[in-house]
Amino acid sequence: MNILAYIIYFVLTYLITVQAGFIFYRNGKVYILRLLNGDEKLTDFINKMLLTGYYLLNLGHVAFSVHSWNTIESRMELVTIVTTLTGRIMLILAIIHFVNMTVIFLFSKYKKSIFSS
Amino acid sequence: MKDALNFTAYLIYLPAVIFLTWYVAHILFKNSRVFMNDIFGGKVDIALSTNKLFETGFYLLNLGCAFLVMDITYDIKDSRSLLEVLSAKLGGFSIYLGIMLFFNLYLFFRGRRIAKQKAKQAEALKSTGSLA
Repeated sequence: MNILAYIIYFVLTYLITVQAGFIFYRNGKVYILRLLNGDEKLTDFINKMLLTGYYLLNLGHVAFSVHSWNTIESRMELVTIVTTLTGRIMLILAIIHFVNMTVIFLFSKYKKSIFSS
Repeated sequence: MKDALNFTAYLIYLPAVIFLTWYVAHILFKNSRVFMNDIFGGKVDIALSTNKLFETGFYLLNLGCAFLVMDITYDIKDSRSLLEVLSAKLGGFSIYLGIMLFFNLYLFFRGRRIAKQKAKQAEALKSTGSLA
């Protein structure tokens, strides 16, 4: 049962992480572009670095969290543990996402106050 | 089959929370485009991006919470306690979703108010500048 649980868990978290990361990548570009006054090359670079770091962090965390699982004996335990851990990953993603947005917002505010005063 | 009813509870709970979250997010972020357009003064690309980012965050946060609290630690023995447990969980999640919905609405209204104030200030500055 453990192997089956690992497979389901990996597929689920992989799908969620990659999907969310791609959405952030596509929609975050506008912000960084505006922050850097339309410097396309640097924006692409920073965006790609952010995406790579995000993937490394999350997939690494997913892979790492597997080592502490107990033996799974029934399908109920399987559903419970897979769902709970997926929920945890999603919460972590959400927190990282909102922190990221706050940081970009603060950056743009700071920048505006430099240039307008 | 000692754990049969727990499994049934999960099978009802998971589709229900996913559907609830999808429904609320769909309604909220379909209508928030108007607010985003007001907040960003008609800059469509950044308004749509912000909308999408908030939507993704909303899904992640709420589904994450729903999945995290799914665990029912004791065995459900009859259909009565199944109903009671399920209604407590789903009701609690609905209340939580409602609070998140109103929090988001508050953020949208606040952003719109601030954007309007800024526009007014800019206009006032412009008119005084042209007078002087």
